[in-house]
Amino acid sequence: MREDYRRSLETAARQMILVHRADTLARLILRTILSNLKVKHAGILIFDKKRDEYVLKVSRGRSGFKIPAGFVKVKKNNPLIRYFTDKRLPFPKNIILADSIHRLAARSGEPSKKNLKNFLKDLEINLSLYQAKACIPGFYRNELVGILFLGDKKDKSRFSQDELGFLAVLASDVVMALKNTWLIEDLNRQLAINKRLFIQIVSALASSIEAKDAYTSGHTERVVQHSLLIAYNLKHVLRTKSWEKFTENLKIAALLHDIGKIGIPENILNKISSLSDEERKIIENHPSIGATILGHVEELGDVLAGVKYHHERYDGTGYPYHLKGRQIPLIAAIVCLADAFDAMTMDRPYHKALSYKDAIKEIRKNRGKQFAPSVVDAFLRAYSSDAKG
Amino acid sequence: MKKKVLIVDDEKEIVEFLKHFLERFNVNAYTVTRGDEALDEYSRIKPDCVFLDIQLPGKDGLTILKELTKLDPQAQVIMITGKEDKEYQDKAKKYGAQDYITKPLDLSELKEKIEKYIIA
Repeated sequence: MREDYRRSLETAARQMILVHRADTLARLILRTILSNLKVKHAGILIFDKKRDEYVLKVSRGRSGFKIPAGFVKVKKNNPLIRYFTDKRLPFPKNIILADSIHRLAARSGEPSKKNLKNFLKDLEINLSLYQAKACIPGFYRNELVGILFLGDKKDKSRFSQDELGFLAVLASDVVMALKNTWLIEDLNRQLAINKRLFIQIVSALASSIEAKDAYTSGHTERVVQHSLLIAYNLKHVLRTKSWEKFTENLKIAALLHDIGKIGIPENILNKISSLSDEERKIIENHPSIGATILGHVEELGDVLAGVKYHHERYDGTGYPYHLKGRQIPLIAAIVCLADAFDAMTMDRPYHKALSYKDAIKEIRKNRGKQFAPSVVDAFLRAYSSDAKG
Repeated sequence: MKKKVLIVDDEKEIVEFLKHFLERFNVNAYTVTRGDEALDEYSRIKPDCVFLDIQLPGKDGLTILKELTKLDPQAQVIMITGKEDKEYQDKAKKYGAQDYITKPLDLSELKEKIEKYIIA
């Protein structure tokens, strides 16, 4: 018998490492218990922070005996909980055994301990309501995280010392594992908050360019939208390993694509008359300035390429690096088209806005010249229905 | 004579559990899992109390409640609700439900209701 438990515990422990979801884990442990102990039913009550009470999260057992998970809870003031949490109650906090309650009652026999007697009576009633023969607490530090409860054994025999030891180990393992999965869930939540914060800061940075360049109001946000729509229409041909990561980077690159304009004097940026060669060179350097600014942020990865090469042309006549064809990273090719499309459809100091229809024509004309063919195709899939209308 | 309760709920596990739970109070439990079977079964067994789930296939709980209290103005109905929904509970009271229980529930509360409405 002793050997069997050790093996079961080892198997359970090994599985626990592999399971990252709290409910899957709890179910697994109940299965281990039922197959080893031959009880009619068992369940795990887990403290629900939001409700501030203990809710039955998983259960197993014979039809009728099994208490449906989610159907039942135990309030904090229920004697089943108070037995373990109320420090004034002079009972061992390691287990409740229904068959041993009368012994506890006998110990608290004097008249002055009438309250204790009443408490135990109430406890007994609740044990029978839940048809629990044994309750094993799971503590983490000093807080009661959960309770494992078991019904009658099928052969009605009492739990042996070996069995109780086995259960105690399992209960504390459940608690540790639950705490870990909750910790991971908390971390993920925190991560999501940080990500949002990051995007907000990037957006604030992006709007600092718009504040400087009178003609770009709303431009950044539209480039983001165009870029994402193009990417969406590229999804089926893209062989990128992580689609989510790619679009995330694309979004940030689109937001920051003109960040380098911070380094360009305003009188050149907002000049209405035509630019001198020297002034043009200064403006055409903004992708490189942007890359230098963002180069300090190691984690940006692909984003940097998107900013650095968003004015390169497929035929190699772009600026400032004169890359061509496949040398231009996809992320940059997408931002390039999105940027150009928005520039065409908005009034600028140097040209009047084109209609959507004419702008789409213009993009189509530049397939394989200014723009990468695959990106143009995706763009057309996204926008050509607009052009017809 | 043993008291009789009709359980109207589509979740089989809950029905089975409630049935066994009631039997421990020496109450006979009858069950239906479809809303549109509730009325016929009620007329057939004339139970002392009905546990009625709000969401049911065939016919929803509030409709059944209305029809039940029309059929038998003395009917004792306890609604089983999925969450604290004040508006719904008010409606149920208006249509003649005696009380309601909210999932998840503490079994000592369920015991109190059984003692109050069925055994007493």
